[in-house]
Amino acid sequence: MGKGRPFLEVFTCALNEDYRFPILEILVFLCALCTFVLGGLAAVSGFTTGEAFTHNIVSSSTLPLIILVVIPILKNIAYGLGSDIEKGITQTLFSYPLKRGYILTAKLLSALGIPLLLFLGISIFGLFLLFPDIILANPDTVFLTYAAQLSPVLLAAGLLLLLALRLKRGVLALITGLGLCIVLFVIFDAIVNSLAYTTGSDWSLKIYAVITPNLALQEYYLGTILGFTHKIWVPSFSEVLLYLLAGYLLVALVFTIGYVYFKRGLRI
Amino acid sequence: MSLILVDDIAKSYGKVVAVDGLSLRVEEGSIMGLIGPNDVGKTTTIKIIVGLLKPDRGFVRVFNEEPWDNPALKSRIGIIHERARFPSHHKVLDYLQRVCRIFGKPESRAREVLALTKLEDAYDRTIKTLSAVMLQKFAIAHAWINQPGLIIADEPTSNLDPEARSDLLDLILKLHHDENVTFLISSDIVPELNKVCDSVAIINQGKVWASGGLTELSERLGARTTRISTDNPEALAGLIRKLEYVSRVEVDSRGVSVGVIGEEDERLYEDVPKLAKKAKARIVGIQSGTASLEELFRLAVRSGKGGGQRWEKADPS
Repeated sequence: MGKGRPFLEVFTCALNEDYRFPILEILVFLCALCTFVLGGLAAVSGFTTGEAFTHNIVSSSTLPLIILVVIPILKNIAYGLGSDIEKGITQTLFSYPLKRGYILTAKLLSALGIPLLLFLGISIFGLFLLFPDIILANPDTVFLTYAAQLSPVLLAAGLLLLLALRLKRGVLALITGLGLCIVLFVIFDAIVNSLAYTTGSDWSLKIYAVITPNLALQEYYLGTILGFTHKIWVPSFSEVLLYLLAGYLLVALVFTIGYVYFKRGLRI
Repeated sequence: MSLILVDDIAKSYGKVVAVDGLSLRVEEGSIMGLIGPNDVGKTTTIKIIVGLLKPDRGFVRVFNEEPWDNPALKSRIGIIHERARFPSHHKVLDYLQRVCRIFGKPESRAREVLALTKLEDAYDRTIKTLSAVMLQKFAIAHAWINQPGLIIADEPTSNLDPEARSDLLDLILKLHHDENVTFLISSDIVPELNKVCDSVAIINQGKVWASGGLTELSERLGARTTRISTDNPEALAGLIRKLEYVSRVEVDSRGVSVGVIGEEDERLYEDVPKLAKKAKARIVGIQSGTASLEELFRLAVRSGKGGGQRWEKADPS
């Protein structure tokens, strides 16, 4: 017997548990609504130059969407996976003819892959409908902006995975995960910006850009518009790429730790 | 042929030693009971055997294969976990049909196993609405879906009422006789294992304290049960309880069953007439036989507390 069928069955089983009616339907509706409303607002924000304008449209119309997408990720990974381990459902899944790594992949595809697919599908399609010329004119900028926006989401997902595996309690992992996301992406963001603007030094921004590469990309495009003298930190384009690479390496590291722990160290 | 071979395994959780030098073998076509008090390492042993845990040391083979993260082996064994849980929002029949597809079995098999476990009425119920008894039956149906040659069950009767317990034991015997399924059953409810097991491994303090067939074990450990038929069982039992070498006294309307260890059997034969006279009881008959599993279990517990453990190592060949 091949691995394909058991894998698909575990994946669809996870889908059924993660997205009971009408969770997915509401998510699709809100994603579409946000894309069209915020995309429209971004269009009148004032920037008119090509790449920076494209970045601004994509960035500002997708940021609220990312918050929307993080909610099911938080629920499915931190609460869902934590509860599965807590209740013994993972034990049941381990009795199927599938390696542990495949079981985790099936769970993550449902918990993380589906929200990301929705996010990318709806927002790219929506932006293409709203601004076909701009999107087609700067596909590299669109790609970079999405990549930079998704890096912190994937990092958060990886950290939530580690929390769920370590804590093995759904509610505890959810609360801790929520706290961690707020600290990393709200409180740190505020502290980093305050530090940068009060001290006039760019080191805090540079460190934070590893976690959120979109910061580097944003500073780069703002620099091209406002001029270098108005900004504390204006990275070069190659620096932006390096930050993006570092961000994804960090994501890969966190997920690798999660997989290794799930395959070898998870005691259930 | 040994379907399960465990040699000198050990597992610790931090400083807590759960299993320490445990050896065990389960022969094809047998029903082996893994018994012992709570927290002596039964569940850890089961988890190691089904590949959920890796032992810190030792050797484990199931169907001559290493069980850890071994998908091929999962198709050959059925597992009933203690307090088994399933994705709760699925319907009973739907979920088992999914499990059929996972194991490459026809979907009709789901109805067969549900009928076998008397869950036909629950086809359309979601798993979360099942009672504890039904959930346990569902776990059994789930374990039997791939028609494994070996079923490993950890406390399979823990959530069941007496009737359901009896049904389950009958089902185990049926599968054993009709399908030649080998069972390894862990439980601390000893009398029920007495009904189905043809061999036992008594675990205490992370080791197999003794293992083998019931008769063989009784003889080897010198544990005997003496049945005294009398017209005044209560009074006689009261006096017998005071004998220091007696391990167990059970009374019913027709007599007294007395558990003794070793050569004390003969002392009991000498003492009973004197005690009967004192209790004004007429002895109708007296007969000794193999000790019950419960007797052996008590012996193991007492031995563990006293620190004088005995255990035997499985022949790794």
